[in-house]
Amino acid sequence: MIAESGFGIAAVSYDSQETQRQFAEKYRIRIPLLSDRDSAVIRSFGILNNNIDPSLRAHGVPHPVEYLITPEGLVIRKYFVPNYQHRVAASAVALREFGVVSDEAPTVTLRSGALTVAIGLSAATAFAGQEIGFLAKFALEPGWHVYGAPLPEGYTATSVTFDGPAVAHQSFELPEATPVRMDVLGETVPAYSGSFQGLGSLLLRFPLDDGRIVLSGRVSFQQCGATVCEAPETIPFELPLILERFMDAPRSK
Amino acid sequence: MAYDTPEDLQEKAAIMREFGRLRAAGLPVPAELQTKHVNATNDGYATGPGPGGRIPDFLLPDQEGIPRSVANLSGPNGLFLVFYRSADW
Repeated sequence: MIAESGFGIAAVSYDSQETQRQFAEKYRIRIPLLSDRDSAVIRSFGILNNNIDPSLRAHGVPHPVEYLITPEGLVIRKYFVPNYQHRVAASAVALREFGVVSDEAPTVTLRSGALTVAIGLSAATAFAGQEIGFLAKFALEPGWHVYGAPLPEGYTATSVTFDGPAVAHQSFELPEATPVRMDVLGETVPAYSGSFQGLGSLLLRFPLDDGRIVLSGRVSFQQCGATVCEAPETIPFELPLILERFMDAPRSK
Repeated sequence: MAYDTPEDLQEKAAIMREFGRLRAAGLPVPAELQTKHVNATNDGYATGPGPGGRIPDFLLPDQEGIPRSVANLSGPNGLFLVFYRSADW
């Protein structure tokens, strides 16, 4: 999905060319795996992990960082995570940067009153510790609004939240809401109308057992039309996700 | 947490040693030590050039021995460059 968006992909580690070759062969990796044998490039990026004693084999590894860069070498965006058990999934990058979602990725559609919400994950499969993305597409019938943020007390802003033990951390961002005069309330509050969408991320916990899990979440909102403002609503939803088993790296001895 | 004082650095070294000892002996690592070890190995976490910054030039062989640089790795829009731990462990 990243390649289809006109970006090359490559990965760097301090392994020998031969180790990279065996690794690529074993896991049928077709992207270039670059061999930074003495960690000189890792050092030049300023991302060498200095916590590891030089006598140890692990000395020379970088902090886990991913860069999206222009053909001229300028950084567009940088992704970094707490440690190597956590990684931003390629599907999350493709969703955030290019709005691309896999056809197989699970989606659920919810309807209430004038509002339709479609929530989809960036991928159908993931690893424990990965950060995946999700997209929530909202559509309101003409004349209706839901609230944005910030709001006075007593109002419910539009949000999408995931629950459950598989999610370690999450975020959800909506575009800035437009101040709208609600005649029925006699107040001006930030709100959305028509079609809009929010982008979220889910950092999956590590470790997790592999297999099929169900991610449960809820959408909260409050709808307001020309003559009536409905009570706040929270609609639960579920999305399936397949957790893949970790592969052990081959030993090149 | 950051490890700044000499006492902090001693604690960090002790965490690293204990983690290494358990691993070498094939013993289970308690969750609390695991968490401390992650913190210790992330001390001074550096992420390199940020948005708008320029990455350093590089020329590295790929798994086929072909010399690679940003110029020959990029697609029309650029490159997604991932740094990873190791293909060996």
